[in-house]
Amino acid sequence: MDLTLLSQYVLSGLVMGVLYSLMALGITFIYSVMKMINWSMGEFYMIGSYVQYALLATFLGSKRWWLAMPIAMAVVFVLGLVIQRWLLRPMFVGAVERRDEYATIITIAMMLLFRNAAIVLGGPNQYAPADYARPVTIATLPISGNRFVALLATVVLLVAFYLVTKHTWVGQALRGAAQNRVAIQTAGIDVLRLDMLAFGVGVALAAAAGALLAPDFLVYPENGAISTFKGFEIIVIGGLGSVMGSVIGGILLGVIEALGSVFLSAAYKDLYGFVLLIVLLVFRPTGLFGERERTA
Amino acid sequence: MLRRPSIIILAALLTVGLAAPAVAQKPVKIGVLTPLSPPGDSGSGQLILRGAKMGVEELNARGGLLGGRKVELVIEDDSGTPEKGIAGFRKLASQDQVAGVMGQFHSSVMLAAQDLAEQFKIPIFATQASARSITEKHLGYTFRTHVIDPDRVQVWNRWIMERGFKRVFLLAENTDYGTGLVEETKRLFKAMGVRAELDTAIFDRTSVDLTPQLLKIKSWKPDLVLNGAVGTPIYLMIKQAYDVGLFPAVPMLVSYDAPVRPEFWKTVGDKGAYVTFITYYHPTMKLPTRGEAFRKKYLAEFKEDPVYSAFNGYTQVMLIADAVSAAKSEKGEDVVKALLANKFEGWNGTIAFTRGDGPYWQQWTPPMLFVQYTKPEQPYPEVKISFPPEFKTGDWVPAPAR
Repeated sequence: MDLTLLSQYVLSGLVMGVLYSLMALGITFIYSVMKMINWSMGEFYMIGSYVQYALLATFLGSKRWWLAMPIAMAVVFVLGLVIQRWLLRPMFVGAVERRDEYATIITIAMMLLFRNAAIVLGGPNQYAPADYARPVTIATLPISGNRFVALLATVVLLVAFYLVTKHTWVGQALRGAAQNRVAIQTAGIDVLRLDMLAFGVGVALAAAAGALLAPDFLVYPENGAISTFKGFEIIVIGGLGSVMGSVIGGILLGVIEALGSVFLSAAYKDLYGFVLLIVLLVFRPTGLFGERERTA
Repeated sequence: MLRRPSIIILAALLTVGLAAPAVAQKPVKIGVLTPLSPPGDSGSGQLILRGAKMGVEELNARGGLLGGRKVELVIEDDSGTPEKGIAGFRKLASQDQVAGVMGQFHSSVMLAAQDLAEQFKIPIFATQASARSITEKHLGYTFRTHVIDPDRVQVWNRWIMERGFKRVFLLAENTDYGTGLVEETKRLFKAMGVRAELDTAIFDRTSVDLTPQLLKIKSWKPDLVLNGAVGTPIYLMIKQAYDVGLFPAVPMLVSYDAPVRPEFWKTVGDKGAYVTFITYYHPTMKLPTRGEAFRKKYLAEFKEDPVYSAFNGYTQVMLIADAVSAAKSEKGEDVVKALLANKFEGWNGTIAFTRGDGPYWQQWTPPMLFVQYTKPEQPYPEVKISFPPEFKTGDWVPAPAR
């Protein structure tokens, strides 16, 4: 076996894994705070990619992708706040008896709405913004400049996310909400506002992934589906609610898919992640970094 | 007071009087079942629909069918998935009662829908679905005016031999089309005595990252890569092959005419230069009356040259309409009899359906042309046909070193 080639496969999987983890982080963050699964996560990825493309194709010009990306994140963040305020908040303040079902129905409805809105507004065709950077080589791996930029930006976002949640007052409040929603209310914290923030930040992370990967993975109405799919796989592998689990789970999935698709068959690429997931659930049902929930 | 018989007569007269105009105006319906949203190749679906709509406009401008009845297009999106295709066909057949269904693009969808066509006795047309098995099943209600995979593979094998390629890699998607291409290429490489080494791989159509496979292919050192994808993965393969340094150093042949669409350059950018692809129409082709009239009308309406998908969409609507006129009936069984008994004018010549051997059953095949983009953003009418020799207008050129 050619070691250079093997290192290329591993590196390629590693890069993809880090990119996957950005999507998984958004899902797991929203789940941690709000205790709900956002099934429309991929559609926020899709909206992020469309906003990025629209900005670059119209106002900003193809070179200012670095400016378009935070704008795309901000647009989706605001959209997330609005959705949380008007559609998801009733889960916590009204007399909704079945919260899980409510959240599932609302987020699946949003998925369909956004996907069809994209078809109506942008047509079903594919688009792609111009490349963010020229192809580069990481160690032995020749890689698209876009993916390299996305990798760096993802690492920056992950570090920023870690620092904010670990060292700021808001971050501590969010972690508190993740541990016990009732307890932090006794400390005088408005948990509904935290929900808004968590949902906005979670979907903005998905939008960042969409904007960063737009030149490589294209812009079209269903481009978020695969990211959601991988995101859910990763959070189960890494452990629901664990930030570290999202990163490690993402990398594991990326590497296993890369190796499986070249050494076994590329036709069953999705299968390898599921095999890993099933094996892991047998031996460690909470995932790699998940913990059993402590309930009274 | 009116007597009972008088009331019945009056009611009958009123019913007939009111219903008669309604019956006279009932349109003849033609179904379009085509991919209009992903994961299907929605770009092709839209172009097929464009052609079909122009056909219906022309028919209605001429006074409709069957003594002045309007023609109506009923459109269903199959999204390139068999389950949606089946649901769409069922609706077109049972609820809309169409005279025929055209627009089929994905072989997997066509293979599922054609069994329903047989059951409902409604003719179905493969517009760009090319799997061999579609017509090889010898179903009475299945028709195709598009190439068949064995023919496609034969032509690319001839091209491989002419150009003297020695190591050929075919990367195809996991659909009936993709797996069919792999099987046919393996079979015909032997049968035609192609003196080149062949390797193949099948990838998951929903995959967005083909980098590991492309790295593996690069390490195999091919001198030609055959791109056996449909829709979005075509673009992903071109872009990612460029990024890993495989293409354009190693030439790539796209198996059908997706790159003729305006979205091609918007999606792949400069990375699309030097892509070679198989197409079925070129603006330099001399067309018969019907095709030429369509070309002019399309140019006037859309300010761009028509593409094959639109030509074939238009032709199939006209075929169904001509068959309905010949049969003097919109019933599926009568339409099929008329399709088999008559000759029709298509966009590129006379179409006659015969029941030949193997896949040549109720089949008409357009020409296949090899063309190549030699610079970024190159307009399609500027590309040269490099193969087959009888259509040649220019030479195929390898890409310069990057």
